[in-house]
Amino acid sequence: MYSQLFHIFRNTPLGRETFLQSLYFCNQVDTTPVVYIPEFIKFLMYFDNDVVQVDLDESYLTDPATAEDHARILLDSANLKPNFFTPKNFTASTLPDIPTNFEFMCCPRSISDLSSKIGLGYIGPRVRRIVTSARFPVLITSAVYKPWTRLVVFFGGSANALNALKLGMRIARQTGMPLDIFTQAENRSREDYAAIIRDHHMEDELERLQQRWIFFDEGKFETNLYAVPHDALVILGAYGHGLIRNLVFGSKMENIQSTIPNNLLIVGPNYTAGI
Amino acid sequence: MRSPISWRPPATWHFFRSDDRLLLILAGAIVGICSGVAAVALNQSLIAVLGYLRPYRAYWWAFVLPAVGAALSSLFLNKIMREGAGHGVPEVIYSVSRYGGLMRFRSSFSRLISSCLTIGSGGSAGPEAPIVMSGSAIGSNIARLLGLNDRQRVTLVGCGAAGAISAIFNAPIAGLIFAMEIILGEWAASNLIPIAIAAVAGTEISHLLQGKQIPFSHHHFNIGAVDIVACIGLAVFTALASIMLTRAIRTIHHQADGIQLPSWLKAAGGGCAVGLIGLYLPMVLGEGYHAIREMMEGRFAPGIGLVFLAVLAKIMATALTLGSGGSGGIFAPCLVIGSFAGLTYHRALAYLWPGVDWVQEGCFVLLGMAGLVSGILQAPLTGIFLIVEITGGYEVILPLIIVSAISTTICHYMEPASFYLKDLVEKGQLMRPGTDARVLADLEVHELLETDCITVHTDMLLRDFVDIVKQSRRNLFPVEDQSGQFQGMIYMDDIRPYLFDPLMYDAVLVGQLMNPRVETVSPDDDVVEVLERMDAEGLFNMPVVANHRFRGMISKSTLLDQYRKELMVQTYHLNR
Repeated sequence: MYSQLFHIFRNTPLGRETFLQSLYFCNQVDTTPVVYIPEFIKFLMYFDNDVVQVDLDESYLTDPATAEDHARILLDSANLKPNFFTPKNFTASTLPDIPTNFEFMCCPRSISDLSSKIGLGYIGPRVRRIVTSARFPVLITSAVYKPWTRLVVFFGGSANALNALKLGMRIARQTGMPLDIFTQAENRSREDYAAIIRDHHMEDELERLQQRWIFFDEGKFETNLYAVPHDALVILGAYGHGLIRNLVFGSKMENIQSTIPNNLLIVGPNYTAGI
Repeated sequence: MRSPISWRPPATWHFFRSDDRLLLILAGAIVGICSGVAAVALNQSLIAVLGYLRPYRAYWWAFVLPAVGAALSSLFLNKIMREGAGHGVPEVIYSVSRYGGLMRFRSSFSRLISSCLTIGSGGSAGPEAPIVMSGSAIGSNIARLLGLNDRQRVTLVGCGAAGAISAIFNAPIAGLIFAMEIILGEWAASNLIPIAIAAVAGTEISHLLQGKQIPFSHHHFNIGAVDIVACIGLAVFTALASIMLTRAIRTIHHQADGIQLPSWLKAAGGGCAVGLIGLYLPMVLGEGYHAIREMMEGRFAPGIGLVFLAVLAKIMATALTLGSGGSGGIFAPCLVIGSFAGLTYHRALAYLWPGVDWVQEGCFVLLGMAGLVSGILQAPLTGIFLIVEITGGYEVILPLIIVSAISTTICHYMEPASFYLKDLVEKGQLMRPGTDARVLADLEVHELLETDCITVHTDMLLRDFVDIVKQSRRNLFPVEDQSGQFQGMIYMDDIRPYLFDPLMYDAVLVGQLMNPRVETVSPDDDVVEVLERMDAEGLFNMPVVANHRFRGMISKSTLLDQYRKELMVQTYHLNR
């Protein structure tokens, strides 16, 4: 299947790390990178039922004269064909529209705020809106380029978690990397979680792919996260419980991203996965 | 675990799923009320700002007031709200025609504040376009909250526009027609009722909060046959003024775009120029309704020369305000320019034929407004009903129709697209539902992919290929090399002689038979461009290739099939 990853190139050392991470992802999952070198500080993304205005951090416009050359060098080094995106439609003269029909998108933890604020425990509001509205999973990269050699899927039994698991299985098949499932029990037994997987006819395929099911029925969630391998791409669902519960109880995804520095592939509530 | 409190959008409730008309009517009423409140808020804010600044207008330095207002407005829009500037209405039409009416939440209030700063300080612009944008954005965001689909959202955007125009002018029919004629560009029965409800709700909110006032008081006019004949000349005059206004705004806008200065400084420059004009002709400042009232009542003292100069000055002031980056609309300036044009024309007639018993000059003022609005918007119904409602009289309907129709026709002849649509048409971004451009824009190459082709390899013998031909239902075959890279195509028509010559079966390879110079399509290509290439080359099929790999075929027959399905989706509501 032909798929594309949308990457907004930032012509800075931090942007290079993010781009390298995108390129590694593309090579692993046989995806074509589509690179956007922004000319304007803001753009719009029209999703199915939402429009998100992304106001980029000023560093995205750093030294535009060298940006394309830098991106080309990195693309060449990863043996990937340059595919630069030029906006065709504009809502206003300085406000381009970016398509939303990609299969993946790469974001740093924040694209609107100063990069000095980027760190664990902080996901910018725009990245959050994109995750919530997008049909595609969002790759949130670690601050420094680090290849991953295995996959970890967080599975809590929700519809979003099932989508994340399906995506994890697809990537495991494509890459041949081992797939671990990480579950923190929440008033349910291991058998209950297994039943959910069985009900969705994923048991056999999972048995073939899965290396381990890391199941925690006790201990603090944040403490148990130490068990996540440092070199794993972590795949998880986000904001699947609705706004009110997320506001009251907090989002599990926010917990995870604030604790582990791994690359994250986040599946939002509008993503629909096929095995 | 399910959340104890969960929000399910009303669009998914069982009650509304079988028929969404009740939902749209209820939502339309809510949108109409909200946009009515926004319109009243803008109106009252403008009254307050104008009242506050009135004492300062007597000073010699008052010409800087519009500059300060325009600069603050630009800074607010660009730095605080981070919105791209614009007149508002084109953005609404763009969103309706391209993205199912999706609009940002910030647009529901940003233009209210920025236009208040521009107009309140004396900039020559009107509050209608900003309030239309706010009302439409309110409609769009309420639709998002209710989980409505694109078609329903577009209806609520129309409701927002109708509610806003109805409230600001106290004119529900004009609001309804404006939404249908200009914003939606179609007359679907399913849209009509919710928009009518929104228009009534907006008007009633305005009545409730501001009282039942119409902008201009009603006057009785004795219109004779000679006046009706004279209307033809007025229509020509107002059409020319409309063209001049459209071109002046666009020229100054393009000139300002080319100047390498911060946008707030450009807006300030435009505002300063308007302030200087206002020192000599104060009637061109602000929305200018006071001057219209005087003209309609026959109390406007300046002579014909000065009134004609006011037509030109108001056109220039509006172009400077809006073209340099000020925030506001062209509705109110059109009314003012139209009234000056009508008065000029009437006085010219009276001067040339003093013996004729002409109707009062207020009537021509009113007709001039209709001519300008109809000409610049190229929307005759909006012009006619707006003037009828804001002046409270139907006895002028006949000359109104004549002036509006002729003015629209002349403007359409000289400028094929209206002021609101011109930029969109030039960029190919005006895509009304059900039109060829819109249907094709909604199709993507990956939706049209035919993946039932059998791929063959370059080093395959003709004998093996013949076996594959027997199994295949298609008469074209993509060819790849051993690494899977696309090399070309085999078309049955090209190789038929070889197929019937068994001596060739073990002597010829597929790589020797294929056509390596085939036109290919990328999955990212625009369907319109693909179709144009097919037409230009006389092709019915093209291979889709990405990263040197064959992904499928795209054909005209599949395109027609999908085109029809998409057209049915887009025009479904027209048949309800």
